[in-house]
Amino acid sequence: MKKLLSIILLVTVLFTSCEKTDNFTIAQTEGQATITFDAVFGAQDFALNKDFIVGTKTYNFNKFRYWVNNITLVNTKGEEIKIPNSYYLIEETAAVPVQDGAFTYPATKRETVELKGIPVGEYKSLKFNIGVENKYNDNLSLQIGELSQLNGMTNISWMWMTSYIFSSIGGKITEGATTKNMLIETALNANHKSVSLNLPTSLYIDANKSAAVTLTTDVSKAIDGVDVYATPVIGASQATTMASVATNYATKVFTVKSVN
Amino acid sequence: MIDLIAKKRLLYIVSFILIISSCKKEEMINNDKVLHAVTLDVPSNFPKYVDDLNNPLTKEGIALGRLLFYDTRLSGNNQLSCASCHSQGLAFSDGVALNNIGVSGQTLVRHSPTLINLAWSNTGLFWDGGVTNLESQAFAPLTSVDEMHQNLTELEYELKQVPDYVNRFKFVFNSEIKSAHVVKALAQFQRTLVSGNSKYDQYVRKENGVFLTSQELEGLELVNTKCKSCHSGALFTDNGFHNNGLDNVFSDEHEGIFQGRFRVTLNPADMGKFKTPTLRNVMLTAPYMHDGRFKTIDEVLDHYNLSLKNSPTVDQLLYQNNNQLGIAISTNEKEAIKAFLHTLTDHHFITNKNFSNPN
Repeated sequence: MKKLLSIILLVTVLFTSCEKTDNFTIAQTEGQATITFDAVFGAQDFALNKDFIVGTKTYNFNKFRYWVNNITLVNTKGEEIKIPNSYYLIEETAAVPVQDGAFTYPATKRETVELKGIPVGEYKSLKFNIGVENKYNDNLSLQIGELSQLNGMTNISWMWMTSYIFSSIGGKITEGATTKNMLIETALNANHKSVSLNLPTSLYIDANKSAAVTLTTDVSKAIDGVDVYATPVIGASQATTMASVATNYATKVFTVKSVN
Repeated sequence: MIDLIAKKRLLYIVSFILIISSCKKEEMINNDKVLHAVTLDVPSNFPKYVDDLNNPLTKEGIALGRLLFYDTRLSGNNQLSCASCHSQGLAFSDGVALNNIGVSGQTLVRHSPTLINLAWSNTGLFWDGGVTNLESQAFAPLTSVDEMHQNLTELEYELKQVPDYVNRFKFVFNSEIKSAHVVKALAQFQRTLVSGNSKYDQYVRKENGVFLTSQELEGLELVNTKCKSCHSGALFTDNGFHNNGLDNVFSDEHEGIFQGRFRVTLNPADMGKFKTPTLRNVMLTAPYMHDGRFKTIDEVLDHYNLSLKNSPTVDQLLYQNNNQLGIAISTNEKEAIKAFLHTLTDHHFITNKNFSNPN
């Protein structure tokens, strides 16, 4: 009898260890939701090739891209529902020359992700990370979600130092008669940041209709406190400034616009 | 009673089947053919190695990696393979201080490193340790304009034109050809490049009645006292980073490439530190240092003896000359050290057919 019990125990243990992939198929009823990351620059809608004037400086962007990973919904009981495989590249970008122009990543605007298989329920907050978590960032050969080496979010400087580019803001900054190229990137494990947003009204997931959350992503907040004109290129060698930008993503860039 | 045993057996069998089916993914079965797991044949005088859990060695993965290592399709101009700068006869180095055979024709700023005992190299690769594993490492030379300059999308396309590759990738990775699998296969092959069968190893293991001459033994003793703090253990490297007094000015040009480990950690204490290369096969791997500045081993020994440059991060282990910077080495000692270093040449390694071009 003891043996029988131990076998049952063993089987149970083994089952639970393999359970992960089954999380969302077990749920009786599931619904879906979209999350839109609506980019703005301060009070204006964000757009490429458009001048944004802040004091004496003019910003003009050709890209705004970042990785969002591990989107998690928290229900009213405090239970966290993590969307599996959720790695998304959110972007508004002109064509990106990849690998020094060896090939081109086409101009793309993508602000919405669709989440499926969410257990029906009432959700009160939303969590996600900006960047790539250590496991995948330390080994560029591991695949998950949309993570890829082929979309210009790894470039040669970062390949000498293993990391994806977590976020990238590119374009020009002008003051007076001087225009400088601007490239503000975050990368490296220390700059992988968590964002946690309370929803102003509950998000109801139900099997019959798709819910929608719209977030505001403020590019001006990403560079808040950074003298971009003085330091127009931010990368591995500008570690402190890069850390400030990464912290901005965690604390200021994202706010909830609407829940439907 | 018999019934009970039968029931028990049935339970075991059922539970076994359940376990298998619930974890099927982790099994190495694709297309009804079976991948063969490989354990490295580690020399008995070596430390243990830990296989990469994300990319475990298989006979078929290693064979695929070997094909890719020697395949010029991996470069943008289809003229360069990994072996172009990592030649087996030179213990997988290139014999040139700074190569310029890359697609751009630009002279590189660092010397091509050897590929020896990489299964134990767990502190980061490249001279500054900037990459964390062999899988990630491969993307840099593959894509760099000054090296192989391959477009990764094109790489996948080109390899897909070869039915043998399509089959092999399907078998090994149960997937169509992806650049992520290319680097995994390359890493598997490189982890098999174990060099541990030199004269010195046979002497240590008391094999084949091999003994060292008195001069070689003197050299061994000198290396143990003067060099072993960094070139330590059976691997003859601590896999650490040291400023060995080559320079006292570290320019921040080329994204800090002359600043060594500092470029990676941005810790001022790491300024000018570079990874300790192994002394194994050292007599095959001239020229020396991260930029190949020393043509011969004599120049290297003279550097440690006489020419060390002081700077705030210079290694304290180099104060071996009555508390002065330098390692005192007499002419006779130099000859003895060289005699010993010759015993670290692994002829089996550089002629091993398992490592050579399969075509």
